[in-house]
Amino acid sequence: MNRTVAVVTMLVTSAMASDLTGKWSGTFKVDGGDHTVPQLFILKQQGKTLSGSGGPNASEQYPIENGRIDGDEARFELTTGEWKFTYALKQTAPGALNGTLKLQSVNDSRNAKVSLTRSKAN
Amino acid sequence: MVILGITGSVIAFEPELDRLLHPHLSRVKLGGTTLSLVEIGEAASKKYSGEPVVAYLPSSSPDVPTEVILSSGVVSVNQYRGEVLGLRTRGQTLLGFIRALHVRLATGVIGRNILRWSALAMLISLASGLCLWWPRQRIRIRGPWWSRLFWSDLHNSFGIFSLLPFLLFTATGIVIGFEDEASSLLDKMHVTNPVHYSQTQPRSEPSQASTELTPDQAIAIATAQLPGALPYRLQMPRYGGLYIVSLAYSDNRIAAERNSISLDPRDGRIVAVNQSANLTARERFMATNEAIHTGNILGMPTRIIAAVASIFLPLQVVSGLLIWIRRTNILQRV
Repeated sequence: MNRTVAVVTMLVTSAMASDLTGKWSGTFKVDGGDHTVPQLFILKQQGKTLSGSGGPNASEQYPIENGRIDGDEARFELTTGEWKFTYALKQTAPGALNGTLKLQSVNDSRNAKVSLTRSKAN
Repeated sequence: MVILGITGSVIAFEPELDRLLHPHLSRVKLGGTTLSLVEIGEAASKKYSGEPVVAYLPSSSPDVPTEVILSSGVVSVNQYRGEVLGLRTRGQTLLGFIRALHVRLATGVIGRNILRWSALAMLISLASGLCLWWPRQRIRIRGPWWSRLFWSDLHNSFGIFSLLPFLLFTATGIVIGFEDEASSLLDKMHVTNPVHYSQTQPRSEPSQASTELTPDQAIAIATAQLPGALPYRLQMPRYGGLYIVSLAYSDNRIAAERNSISLDPRDGRIVAVNQSANLTARERFMATNEAIHTGNILGMPTRIIAAVASIFLPLQVVSGLLIWIRRTNILQRV
């Protein structure tokens, strides 16, 4: 029984931590903010390294920096200009990434919640 | 209200205070020919491990350095000598915290909601204050500072002189606090499409030419398109993207900075133009509202009024509280 549970858990975990390569879209909302901001990522996973680009839409994309995968967790950064975006996401279900985002400028620091889903047209 | 007043008076002079806190990064000595943005960018990038330039903030005045935005922060560079003055890393500073207190009590949704409803309460308080002042119309201060008369006169006199700025800053603050609701209402009034946000005017499709435009050439092309406007930001093209040159008109304090020109980095063709003159009624209203609230509407005089009125706000709260305590004798009862 225990062996079965272990095998099922392993299979579920490995399925959830699937390759992140592809298009991901969704939104983030800053704590205390009124608006949700659209997000579009084009991710490329090679082993434990994550690269690619991200931004509000397809025509405004910024390179992903310091991208790394650890199990079902993905961490990466984007610099769009005055703001640096630091993402800490977790694959909560196949095709779903959720987590937090830290936005930092030279004077300010804000936190946001992020929710992304894998786009069907990859 | 005390927090809003104190933080508001600081925010009114935020750019000046920011420069004061970082004097070595904010001033350069005038000296000869200005280097090209490419040279300035190379100096900054070389100093910080070859990081690519994300954007340039060209100097706004001959004695102000050019800033180069890298991933690790914002680098100030002497535009005459190419000397790197230093790096400002990202993260919250004292000024950032003061601003966060002003807009959301340095918390999240709860702080923001407390502030927006407090602003509404203040509007009612201002109306009731006027009603109380009107029968006697006191505009003098009598009695020693510890007397009830002194505080009552102070509250009445300062209150009536600062009523108009208080009303303006409160009303505009309410609009900012309820921005979504106000925008929705304005869209309904003007029957505009709430989705369209900017007046982008596509001019042409990006070309496939192989030569790359330099940042200086991009700025030259953009400034020629909007005579009289000064470039204050240049976003570098990344991932096949475009140069985006942001320009400001110094004589327009309401929507001065809402001009941008997008250029194809391969041949300099203008791909899109956003101009402040093309703002929708809603965008123009919100920009004007913000300019009134920050005191930027008429420049330095209104910024000083904003700062002084903000200082009066805690004074009114304290004097009002003292009058109430003495009237109710609450301390004696305790």
